Amino acid sequence: MSIKWLLWIGLYLVMGVLVPWATALSWAHQHGTELRPRPRQLFQRGELGLVGLVVVISVIWNLLQSQFMPQTIAMAAVLLAMIGTMSGDVWIETYCRQSTGTSCNDERTWRDSRNLAFLVFSMAIVVEILLDRFAKVAAL
Amino acid sequence: MSAPAPALAKPQRPAVIVRLADVGVILASLSLIFGLLVVFFPVSFPRIIVISWQRGYLVLVMMALTLVLDTFLYLRISYLRSSKPTVLVAACLGSLPIIIVGGLSFLLESTVTQTLSLDLPNLQARVNEEILAHTYLGLVSAVFLPFLVIRLLQQFKPKS
Repeated sequence: MSIKWLLWIGLYLVMGVLVPWATALSWAHQHGTELRPRPRQLFQRGELGLVGLVVVISVIWNLLQSQFMPQTIAMAAVLLAMIGTMSGDVWIETYCRQSTGTSCNDERTWRDSRNLAFLVFSMAIVVEILLDRFAKVAAL
Repeated sequence: MSAPAPALAKPQRPAVIVRLADVGVILASLSLIFGLLVVFFPVSFPRIIVISWQRGYLVLVMMALTLVLDTFLYLRISYLRSSKPTVLVAACLGSLPIIIVGGLSFLLESTVTQTLSLDLPNLQARVNEEILAHTYLGLVSAVFLPFLVIRLLQQFKPKS
């Protein structure tokens, strides 16, 4: 079995999580500040949920281009869209709460966005594995 | 008859508030286990699923598995929050996984029938891949969707 799906998910982890973190560290170094943000601080307003939503869009796009039957594509796309929407909703809810001065628990926001982003990433990995398998079968 | 003294009255436990993040970790772990089984047993694991489907066991196993998982998750959430499980949510969690798995099994039947009706090469392998994908998506749906329904219904609950 190929490791294409592993490279695919690695690309998202690097571009979506590691690069923003490294950029923040680089900015702090360049400006000579004491700022040393950890990933948790960088994504404390639920931004990981937004990363999850972007991953979901990419997986749905790959699904639409696959040779699976329309029923399978529809079922997977709807399920992924729902989970992605709930993941992005963490970021939206936090923004609304902070903008209106409604009570907002940073700990809960971080936990919710982290857990839902983990769910999105794990689902994306499995769907990409299934797409990879199907592409091989269809090419035979 | 006099009212009970406040110190003797039992404190009322609030009803369980479900958050999707609580379900997320368990579901993500289930997803990863499924993915690892497909990667490390690329022939035998899908074959077990296909044979179970052909013999008619797959739907029953999925119903039982998702029902147990949903119950475990709900009880875990209520334990962690020190909240009281409600009958309405329990009934929702008891029925929705069965309805979802049952409904999706009809969808799988139609998918397999449509695949077999097409004039495509390597038809049996395509059917096997469709069954594998439907099994995975069915498992995730039957665990996630009941909690999503409960989460959305909580929005309509009056705030105390």
